[in-house]
Amino acid sequence: MRTVIASKKPAWITLAVALVFHALLLSVQMNKRIDTSFVRVWLLDSLGPAEKFVDVSVESVENIWRGYFDLIHVRRENLKLQSENDRMRMDLARRQEEVLELGRLRQLMDLQATDIGKTVVARIIGREPSLGGQTVTIDKGTHSGVQRDSTVMSPDGVVGRVIYAGNFSSVVQLIVDSQSAVGFIVQSSRRLGILKGTGGSELEMEYIDDDNDIKQGDELITSGQDRIYPKGLPLGVVVFVGPRQATFKVVRIRPRVNFARLEEVLCMTEHLPEVPAGQVP
Amino acid sequence: MTDRISTFRLVGKFAISLIAVVVLQGILAYRLRVFSYLDLPLILSVYYGFTLGRPIPSVIIGTSIGLMQDSLSGAPMGTNGFSKTLIGYVAATAGTKFDVDLPVTRAVAIFLFTLGDGLVVSILGLMTGSALNPSYSDIFWHWLVSGAFNALLGMLMFGYHDRVTHAVS
Repeated sequence: MRTVIASKKPAWITLAVALVFHALLLSVQMNKRIDTSFVRVWLLDSLGPAEKFVDVSVESVENIWRGYFDLIHVRRENLKLQSENDRMRMDLARRQEEVLELGRLRQLMDLQATDIGKTVVARIIGREPSLGGQTVTIDKGTHSGVQRDSTVMSPDGVVGRVIYAGNFSSVVQLIVDSQSAVGFIVQSSRRLGILKGTGGSELEMEYIDDDNDIKQGDELITSGQDRIYPKGLPLGVVVFVGPRQATFKVVRIRPRVNFARLEEVLCMTEHLPEVPAGQVP
Repeated sequence: MTDRISTFRLVGKFAISLIAVVVLQGILAYRLRVFSYLDLPLILSVYYGFTLGRPIPSVIIGTSIGLMQDSLSGAPMGTNGFSKTLIGYVAATAGTKFDVDLPVTRAVAIFLFTLGDGLVVSILGLMTGSALNPSYSDIFWHWLVSGAFNALLGMLMFGYHDRVTHAVS
């Protein structure tokens, strides 16, 4: 057991002050009477560069780990050959990584070249998962033209939207986040609706009654009616149409984007209401 | 003058460790899925609460690390701040009343703090309208797994702290 160092100020006063501070902070955010986003922007700008630095360092260590330690057994057989092999493999791994990155960037550039408005390529530098919450941090902020509610996408489809934009980094809410909602159109039947995130890896349709003709394999695109996501971006494919529960049916959608493998994304810096059909790969 | 320099050093040390933990949590959770079950800021709040045994610094540390965690997540500012402040205070107070030198006590404490943190964050989420919609069983299992992982990592951290302390003394 530790002994308490005597203090003239009772500790509970400090606790009460801190808790009241947090309660007030939460309260003003909910009431939106005072703009507190500067606190988040300030902290995001302070922590963003550190997160980017650590991300680059971790990636470098990963590359060394893959390129070097995988070759320990070969080194035992022939030290000289291993040394040469080491260099070649490290070089090859680096080049393969460069080729893959080039491919991804080329896909993004192809998407950027379409008439979807002004965009900027951003790199994912962090993830803050919580139960039901799915957000990532990207290395672009208001200095690059990224704003709150900017659409974020990849060549496969919609990734999410910016919910907090710092000067040099931003927080993106993925479409699978439990707080996310996206307006959709079924590509074949042109039926409209709203997709909600589940907090897991899938999305769910809301308010689907028995009369609908939605079936497995239907492709969904954004409707543009939510005034956040431009019309015509790929969203996902229907993978499950369940029986009616209470009033509505359960319909699950697998997103077109594989969020686990996402490294670079495209951020819209200028919103266009509609993406011309066939422009998005 | 010397006192002021040593105070600055101490504050700097704490600030760097808090920033490092929040940044690491973000990076590692992105790269390794298992880290999404770990709450490094929570473990650090408990760690400082137990090892310092002083409620006021523990409250300040909890507040700072919670706000930093909120800034990098989609949660409203103050959600984790509120929770980590409480945890820092309770850990520091418990450290003076119970024998927290036993590994089992520490593991159980971190497990319970994880459940408490989840409960406070969920209640605040419901109050602020940012509540999540997974089922109650999902929430329960997430808390249990998260509590077990945090307790394990916490024990390793405390074990390292004990070894360093003994080596110095």
